[in-house]
Amino acid sequence: MAYELMSGSQAAAVAVQRVGVDLVAAYPITPQTAIVETLANFEGRGELGGEFVSVESEYAALACSYGAAAAGARVFTATASHGLAYMHEMIHWCSGARVPIVMVNVNRTIGAPWSLDPDQGDSLSQRDTGWMQIYCSGAQEVLDTVMQAFLLSEELLLPCMVVFDGFYISHTYEAVDVPDLEKARAFIGPPVFAAQVQPEKPANIHALITGDMQAELVRNRHETMLRAPTVFKEINQRFAETFGRSYGVIDSVIPPGAKKIILAAGATAETVRWTLPELEETGMVQLRMFRPFPREDLCNLFEAHDIEQVVVVDRNCSTGMGGILAQELQAAIYGMGKPPAVKDLILAGGIDLTPDMLIKALTETGSADKVEQKWGVDLR
Amino acid sequence: MEEMFEFRLHGRGGQGIVVAASIFAEAVFLDGYYARAFSLFGAERRGAPVTAFIRAGKNRLMPRSRIYNPDYIVVFDSSLNMDTSMAGLKEGGTLLINSGEDDSGNLVINTGMDANFKIYTVNATGIAWKHKLAVGSFPMVNTVMLGAMGAISGLASLDSLVTSIKKRVTAKLDANISAAAEGYDSVKEVEHLVT
Repeated sequence: MAYELMSGSQAAAVAVQRVGVDLVAAYPITPQTAIVETLANFEGRGELGGEFVSVESEYAALACSYGAAAAGARVFTATASHGLAYMHEMIHWCSGARVPIVMVNVNRTIGAPWSLDPDQGDSLSQRDTGWMQIYCSGAQEVLDTVMQAFLLSEELLLPCMVVFDGFYISHTYEAVDVPDLEKARAFIGPPVFAAQVQPEKPANIHALITGDMQAELVRNRHETMLRAPTVFKEINQRFAETFGRSYGVIDSVIPPGAKKIILAAGATAETVRWTLPELEETGMVQLRMFRPFPREDLCNLFEAHDIEQVVVVDRNCSTGMGGILAQELQAAIYGMGKPPAVKDLILAGGIDLTPDMLIKALTETGSADKVEQKWGVDLR
Repeated sequence: MEEMFEFRLHGRGGQGIVVAASIFAEAVFLDGYYARAFSLFGAERRGAPVTAFIRAGKNRLMPRSRIYNPDYIVVFDSSLNMDTSMAGLKEGGTLLINSGEDDSGNLVINTGMDANFKIYTVNATGIAWKHKLAVGSFPMVNTVMLGAMGAISGLASLDSLVTSIKKRVTAKLDANISAAAEGYDSVKEVEHLVT
């Protein structure tokens, strides 16, 4: 094993270099900049193995990625916050066009006013765009998940977003086990998907179609994405055999007798995991895959442990409704025999979650398990 | 919970405290602990207050939050607001401060608190100048402070600090290594003198 101290952003870039891509098209934006810098450095040293295209905007980054993927290239891009919002039209287009693309989004609050803290609303608000989304809680997970995302995306011909919190992961330096280059390339293998456009065979693609035809395409896309948990588990089984690590679509810690679970996605999941011994009869589940939403895995987990209550850590807020993960969870458990009560701890603004805050949120009068929504900012 | 050591570093943009935090974390890792270094970003400009954090422990699992109650507070620039820098220091914790020219041991530090904590000083500014570590008129004190941090905490040996410095510092490498060694050797505990 070759441990190196690196930031979450560097881990994402190293994963891309280990995979070996044909093209990176990306535009720097805080807090994602180190990904672009690291990949540009790889190219400068002749170690990227593909082409790095400096583009004029995030919209161009994804448009360029789309064009290359349509031509059969393995591509990667990365952005954050306003950059992701600026890509929005192309985000839809890429999934409709069924091209495999891996994109990292580093969470950062979308303005106004300008803000840098890691509200997850930037990526969660892209939930209906037809991209898969996987949330990571640390740099090792980032490296491994970015590698795996290429296989997932290419198998299903759907683009995949790998997401992690700005600052708490992107700018945190920690020990990461970096896979050997040859071993990584052998594990991933060359891209096997067909090129949609070929210069020698000119064609007009994605031309105007009827609603009926579109409906078939949308259904196909939806049903394909529902296969993602199964495919992801297979990839992780192979990954474990090669690299000795694996992840689920959800990962959980349920102490004996626990009837209460804290659900979190991203960096806060690790704070929850750390704090668990301080909380009585409480378990946790890290939501890794957000799209498709792992309904079956969650319901099975709740049923197997007779879970009565889930406190959701939502580092976001859908104005007029509340935390997005809590809404999704409510919808997912609807129809269960004994669905757990869902409570929401809202960390909108990307505010910091400390172990003390979490303990306070769950133990004080009017705690998160007694009220429907608890605002994290009231616990500061 | 497993034992965990938390550091909070206070300095100014341009002093290299973010790099220092990652160098220290790597040295701590080389000496057998898990370690993480991270920083608060914001106004990234020379002279503006900057905060960085380090966590170290035997358990790979650590919280992903900022550090409000550190075991160690390390102040790279004594002209920073000390009330802000000292906020939340753990009972029995340690303050390490770049004392600048006044390394007499009679340093008066208005920490705004009279609680139980230790104070260590090192003339990082003087040592940096001596080794010609400066950008213009701005002394680069970070490698001196690193040496001092290793010595007072016992979490990073000078050997590991030098290994890590070699990986992460390109300019004036020999001077930086000498500066770290001098910081390691010359840091000393001083009496509290609260004004």
